[in-house]
Amino acid sequence: MQGSSEAVRELFQAHGTAIYRFATVLVRHREDAEDVVQETFVKLLRHLEAGGDMANVRGWLFTVAANAARDRQRRRGRWIPWEPAHDIAVPPPALDDEDGRVRRAREALRLLPDRDRQLLALRAQGLSYRDIASATGIQMVSVGRLLARAADRWAAAVRTHGGSGYELLARRTTPGAR
Amino acid sequence: MNCLHDEQLQALADGEGTSADRAHAESCAACGARLRDRAALMASIETALNPPVDLPASFRLKADAAGEGATRLRGPFQRSRSFRLETEGTRRWIYSAAAIAAALVAVLFVVPAVRKDATTVSASEILAKSASQLSAVTHGVEVLEYELVLGGVPKDLMPDQVEGTYRIWQAIDHDVPGRFRFASYTSDGRMFSSIAEDPIARRRVAAFTSEGQDYRFDVTLPSGPRAMSLPEMQRLHMEASITMMQASGNQLVETIDGPNGKLYRIEVPRVAAPGANPVWDLSEARVLIDSRDYSIIEFAVQGSLLKSPYSLSYKQLRHVVGASLPADAFVVPTRPGEIVVTGEGSAVPTRDVVVLALRALAQAKQAR
Repeated sequence: MQGSSEAVRELFQAHGTAIYRFATVLVRHREDAEDVVQETFVKLLRHLEAGGDMANVRGWLFTVAANAARDRQRRRGRWIPWEPAHDIAVPPPALDDEDGRVRRAREALRLLPDRDRQLLALRAQGLSYRDIASATGIQMVSVGRLLARAADRWAAAVRTHGGSGYELLARRTTPGAR
Repeated sequence: MNCLHDEQLQALADGEGTSADRAHAESCAACGARLRDRAALMASIETALNPPVDLPASFRLKADAAGEGATRLRGPFQRSRSFRLETEGTRRWIYSAAAIAAALVAVLFVVPAVRKDATTVSASEILAKSASQLSAVTHGVEVLEYELVLGGVPKDLMPDQVEGTYRIWQAIDHDVPGRFRFASYTSDGRMFSSIAEDPIARRRVAAFTSEGQDYRFDVTLPSGPRAMSLPEMQRLHMEASITMMQASGNQLVETIDGPNGKLYRIEVPRVAAPGANPVWDLSEARVLIDSRDYSIIEFAVQGSLLKSPYSLSYKQLRHVVGASLPADAFVVPTRPGEIVVTGEGSAVPTRDVVVLALRALAQAKQAR
């Protein structure tokens, strides 16, 4: 147990923030993102204690996190906290977003199919095509094609979402480009 | 070599392309420009989707969130009782062996015990509670005022009200089953129609206006088992709609703040399977429920009935239980110049109107 927990601690230090950032663009609430991180690393501990494979632990972490985020979003759609009549608590606060970029990115992301969202979020964390394929269950040869479509759809979604002033997507149009 | 496809450009932009593709992009101006374009887009995406957020300092190991296979989100009550571990100094999440072990113990043994209390609620459960509330009032007089917007089939049945928007006032006497009065008003406050039934007096009065002429059908109710009353039909329609919403697997529920407190907003994009050719299909349903008593504040459905489109939108304006009404509240008021038709009624009010109107027409013709 000691060896596994030490390994988890090191892996958390190495990948915890990336997993958290990845989760923040897939779920809507800070608490959900924290839960995704926690669930991911608790599962990592179990995985290691069970003698699980450590060959591609980064890909493994994002696979678990992607599934956890998807499950959490699905539950968020169907379940809400029980609140007695006198309870006027509000939903958890949204994520911090100093310049509105995260909000706009997430709003555009929500317009995309689940698979597109996962692909882009995984790629944004620097995962290789092999790891993305592993995390999403998509064949590796299809990752590039699907990523290209997802990126185009996201760009279009940002534009239709009132992306004015969104300098990150000030794309240069190229004559003759397909 | 032909120019590169989007997939090849994407791979190059992501650092996964082949050397041959890269060589082509370097030698082809068009592909080179497209590659730069794609790389800029991916850089934008990476920047936007890699937000500068760090794990919050208050991040702690929350055992209740680590429940594998959990299907419920935590609510404020559970959060306050949840099992938490935190470090003594920094409040940062620390993965010590003891903490992990304690977390696992908590997950396996503590959390299930805590979760014996229902601390979350599903859309289906809210709908069920709301449906049960429809028949919860069993005594006294219940007064309800609401705005009703009809479209499609139900609107066509009421051709005089072209815009299909009504304000409805209804009183139901739960102490006398079957005793009620409905009245609908146009937007300018004019009574458009009213119907009242009194099973003790065995009398039903229906009044409405057609092409500017007011009519009043005053009939005796048939003896024997009482047919379903209008409020009962209304309640059954709402219950049936809610049941269909419950049956859907893709309900979306959220809480919103209403003028008098929290409301549950439940939406169902589609209820019946497409192409199933159902007798009754809800293509869209939305309901707004008061969290205090699960009463329905707003209700809107859209779909088809016998392959004809229909829509119904209900918005509650006032709801009083145990109301004290004047004695004539259950009596349809008379209107000057109205044509009064009397006779024996049946269990079907609309049939009575047609039969009695035809009978009156025949009598008038014979009298000439």
